[in-house]
Amino acid sequence: MEEYIIEMLNITKEFPGIIANDDITLRLKKGEIHALLGENGAGKSTLMSVLFGLYQAEKGEIRINGKVAKINNPNDANDLGIGMVHQHFKLVEIFTVLENIILGVEPNKLGFLQKKGAREKVLMLSEKYGLKVSPDAFIEKISVGMQQRVEILKMLYRENDILIFDEPTAVLTPQEIGELMKIMREFAKEGKSILFITHKLNEIMAVADSCTVLRKGKCIGTVSIKDTTKEELSRMMVGRDVIFKVDKKNAEPGDVVLSVRNITVSSETHKNNAVKNVSFDVRAGEIVCLAGIDGNGQTEFIAALTGLEKLSNGSITLCDRNITKASIRTRSKSGMSHIPEDRHKYGLVLDYTLEENLVIQRYWQPEFQNLGFIKGQAVRSYAEKLIEQYDVRSGQGPITAVRSMSGGNQQKAIIAREIDKQHELLVAVQPTRGLDVGAIEYVHKQLIARRDAGKAVLLVSLELDEVMNVSDRILVMYEGEIVGELDPKTTTVQEIGLYMSGAKRNLVKEVENAK
Amino acid sequence: MQNSTVSSSKKNKLKKITNSKGFSAFTAALLAIFLGLIFGFVVMVVASPANSLSGFEMVLIGGLNRLGDVLYFATPILMTGLAVGFAFKMGLFNIGASGQYTMGMFFALYAGFMWDLPGSIHWIVCVLAGMVGGMLWGFIPGIFKALLNVNEVITSIMFNYIGMYLVDILIQGNAVMYVSSKTRTAYLPATAQLPSLGIANSNVNFSFIIAIAVAVILYVVLHKTTFGYELKATGFNKSAATYAGMNGKRNIILAMVIAGAMAGLGGAFAMLAPSTIAGSSMTYEPINVIAANGFTGIAVALLGSNSPIGIIFSSLFISYIQRGGTLASLYGYKAEIIDVVIAVIIYFSAFAMLMNATVIKLLKKRRDKKYLKIIADVPDSNNSHQIDKKEGA
Amino acid sequence: MDTLYYLIQNTLPVAIPLLLVALGGMFSERSGIINIALEGIMLFGALFGCLFVYFVGGTPMNPQVILLLGMLVAAVAGFIYSLLLSFAAVNMKADQTISGTALNMLVPAVLLLFSKMYFNSDGITTDVNFYIKGVPGLRDLPVIGKMFFQNTYITVYIGIVLLVISTVIFYKTKFGLRLRACGENPHAADSVGINVYFMRHAGVGLSGILGGIGGFFYSVGVMDGNINGHTGVAGFGFLALAVMIFGQWKPIKILFAALFFAFLRSVAYSIALIPFLDSFHINQTYYKMLPYVATMVVLAFTSKKSRAPKAEGIPYDKGQR
Repeated sequence: MEEYIIEMLNITKEFPGIIANDDITLRLKKGEIHALLGENGAGKSTLMSVLFGLYQAEKGEIRINGKVAKINNPNDANDLGIGMVHQHFKLVEIFTVLENIILGVEPNKLGFLQKKGAREKVLMLSEKYGLKVSPDAFIEKISVGMQQRVEILKMLYRENDILIFDEPTAVLTPQEIGELMKIMREFAKEGKSILFITHKLNEIMAVADSCTVLRKGKCIGTVSIKDTTKEELSRMMVGRDVIFKVDKKNAEPGDVVLSVRNITVSSETHKNNAVKNVSFDVRAGEIVCLAGIDGNGQTEFIAALTGLEKLSNGSITLCDRNITKASIRTRSKSGMSHIPEDRHKYGLVLDYTLEENLVIQRYWQPEFQNLGFIKGQAVRSYAEKLIEQYDVRSGQGPITAVRSMSGGNQQKAIIAREIDKQHELLVAVQPTRGLDVGAIEYVHKQLIARRDAGKAVLLVSLELDEVMNVSDRILVMYEGEIVGELDPKTTTVQEIGLYMSGAKRNLVKEVENAK
Repeated sequence: MQNSTVSSSKKNKLKKITNSKGFSAFTAALLAIFLGLIFGFVVMVVASPANSLSGFEMVLIGGLNRLGDVLYFATPILMTGLAVGFAFKMGLFNIGASGQYTMGMFFALYAGFMWDLPGSIHWIVCVLAGMVGGMLWGFIPGIFKALLNVNEVITSIMFNYIGMYLVDILIQGNAVMYVSSKTRTAYLPATAQLPSLGIANSNVNFSFIIAIAVAVILYVVLHKTTFGYELKATGFNKSAATYAGMNGKRNIILAMVIAGAMAGLGGAFAMLAPSTIAGSSMTYEPINVIAANGFTGIAVALLGSNSPIGIIFSSLFISYIQRGGTLASLYGYKAEIIDVVIAVIIYFSAFAMLMNATVIKLLKKRRDKKYLKIIADVPDSNNSHQIDKKEGA
Repeated sequence: MDTLYYLIQNTLPVAIPLLLVALGGMFSERSGIINIALEGIMLFGALFGCLFVYFVGGTPMNPQVILLLGMLVAAVAGFIYSLLLSFAAVNMKADQTISGTALNMLVPAVLLLFSKMYFNSDGITTDVNFYIKGVPGLRDLPVIGKMFFQNTYITVYIGIVLLVISTVIFYKTKFGLRLRACGENPHAADSVGINVYFMRHAGVGLSGILGGIGGFFYSVGVMDGNINGHTGVAGFGFLALAVMIFGQWKPIKILFAALFFAFLRSVAYSIALIPFLDSFHINQTYYKMLPYVATMVVLAFTSKKSRAPKAEGIPYDKGQR
């Protein structure tokens, strides 16, 4: 039927051991904004990668304007007018904006680059659609927002008419998200067709015309947005009613456990500091959340707090002990537990077994070694205890290679380990990233249990739902500073968004001097 | 019923072994060796077709007549193999084993010539001196990497040359050690030499026993101690090791020092080997040549999957075919053929694991096809429990 | 002053092989493949280049023409040998350091084997004289004449030409842009339709060509047209890696790094001519260590800020996202 510009019919795509797309059919009309909704691992990115030519489907066919098309690589997709903005930007850091835009379609005479014409075209497109960029700036030096504009310009430069956006709003402030939606609507009015992948229901309801829902590789259905509700979409996405709120009793904060003063951390890439003069306290029995858009200094702050990086200025006091210059091991011994942001890079040694990973924070203690020789039996029983207590599932128990475990269970293992060891402060950085709804509930329960047991919890999160539901106190970080302190009971997502984008600041309440 | 469960549990045990990492490393090594030997044979055929079969036969079984020598020549490369393999476990490429080996030789020579000690302890002190020399030359790339972020490959290569020149200068300048008319070192006193194991027609000596013992000690350190735990963790994932509070800098230096000690011992063992002729000993020619045993150690380590026990076997194997190679010279082939074979073996071992996986996948595909055929061919329910047995096997 | 001219005249033929091989390493590593095998590639190119010279040496051809043809032979040989590395690294996704080391070990063994079998010696010696006492016309220019156009080899001029060509290709062409993308972010390159596997093969192939030429130029300029299985290329392949790192993977910086090391080496071999240093009466071998020690000193100071191509050494796998 010619009313559809793209038809993906009965697409099946397999990887070793998993069927990522199972007989999925998706149809896109010309000038339509069509959302692709699903949880992590539902198969959305895979499906779009098939459309873009990064993968080839085992079964099924793709039709463009009614004609069958073979898309074997991104060049084929490009020739058909299909372009894609990826979730993790595919930009070359050491190149300029202009070089990234022309990469792959370089204007040239006998192989020699001709940049002038390209620069003019880029500036023209940038004006027309209001996408501000500096063509000769290096990618590693520009902001995330501008980087995304570069990705969009890549598509416009190639005169793509079918635009795919993969989780475009993950790194934007609410204001920037609004701008992006305006741009998308303009593209649609011009006759371009848009597919965008997301798991954020608010955005779908605000900008999409229709939505296809995927769950565990299968297509659940396609609905028109004006005929549906957030609740219905969410039910289609997870298969059951999702509880949007977390059950918890009021916090009863006690003594100050963590006290940071004037923390300043320099940036590896910019001349400005990544963290500027941050000071706050965390008390026993409360969950404090550092909220903010990714890239505003949270990562650098946590690195300085946990000891992975050096700070340029400031002091850190934990349980009345100055740990500013202490080694990572000393901080751990002083009562800090850390659930890291990147579980594969920091949290686990993937080539070790489960028991070897579970004991990684304690192997040097007398319980587990004697004169340098590891007590195998002690390690084994400890691992078995944690596995049972925290319901960590794996193929072969303590001797499972952690690489083969699912993401959710890997995270459970890390949480089990960090919670079980002696601590007064639990630092949890994006602990639910990449997990499915059941695992997310589990993690939130554990964090609240820690708080109820009188521990101090410092949570860093990018998910506003999590920030609102789990924390007792919210500190918003923007460009390396704490710009606001909010109470989740009285604030709104919109207000947090204003702080996160720097549009609003309040004087952070005077922090009491350390005793 | 009883039989099938017993046989199926035996088969499960076999499956466990064949699926284990150690087994696939072993078959990968075999595949690489096989390809290397085939290549060597082809070279022999090209060089001299008439003699190729007898030449190749020598390579394959010549070592059997020279078992003493096999053990003797295996000893230094066992040590350099440990030097490379132990560092690899930590993710460090110790290409500087040659320099550490040469330093070990020098320190052992120095202790042998310049210190006068009673017979029972002289050779022990010389061995220890060699170890210290190697440790020093391992310490240098370690500290450059840990503190200055200089790639250990470049540092090691540079110091291979620096060590080589330095040792030659020091030897040539020492009247006690050096006999300039012969451009060689003098003969070491008998007290400095290692006790022989008394096997006829070979120099095999006590150092072989020490080498095996050291390999076993390294195995225990790697798998049973906290230091080994930290080492492997760092080699697998440096970031996670840092996160867990492990002292990366200290461990890098320690690992390189230990690796250097291994190579230094290798050099000492080579230099202090007893001679079968009374009054003489091993000698060294300071002619600005990088010690080959250091590079052979890389082959030994890779073939042995960087595991101390695996390295014991791979060093014996390489020494074995090297003996065969020298015997093949009876048929006109140059001993360098074996160097070619070894280089080819390493080349293939670099992706032997992958080739292995491809071969296994092919075999599994054929086996699965066979089962599908069997299931498809059996229509009625009478035979259903036969299918179960086949599927469970 | 004469000593200075002498030193420069000796530096250039030594710097050129270092420069070319380091450029080759740059092309390889900037495409994402660590090339430890430069030493082996150099020797392989030198082997075939010298063989060609040996067979053609008797004919009445102009020596410089023989050199040019020998260069082409060495380039092709180096390219073919580098295919072994690119096959292992790109297609089989093998460990690049191990593959490279294997290729390094193979060539001296093959060279020795071959030389012993057919020449009954440790290497190949040729009789052709490539030495240029003076370039007609240019040799009489003031200052520059003595520095660059006397007592030299055409390898120097060819080397500079190759440097210019390489720099232009690297920065000003579509090919160079795409190559650099593959070493930084191969997934980005893949997503705009670039064939990463092909680009990496090309990068390694270029290192084979330049490495082979560099090896042949080493034998011409440093070994007087000979090559030997025991001394090989005297670690120049590894020195070139240091030059490449010191030059931060950029062509012009690599040129300066190569000149730096070659100069030190020339000084080391010419102590007798430098009265100031000669008066110390230090064993000449200490000076031989100079380039290596200097390398370490430089690396000690520059490695903290070293910025290698981001994706080098990591085999490219489409499936990983």
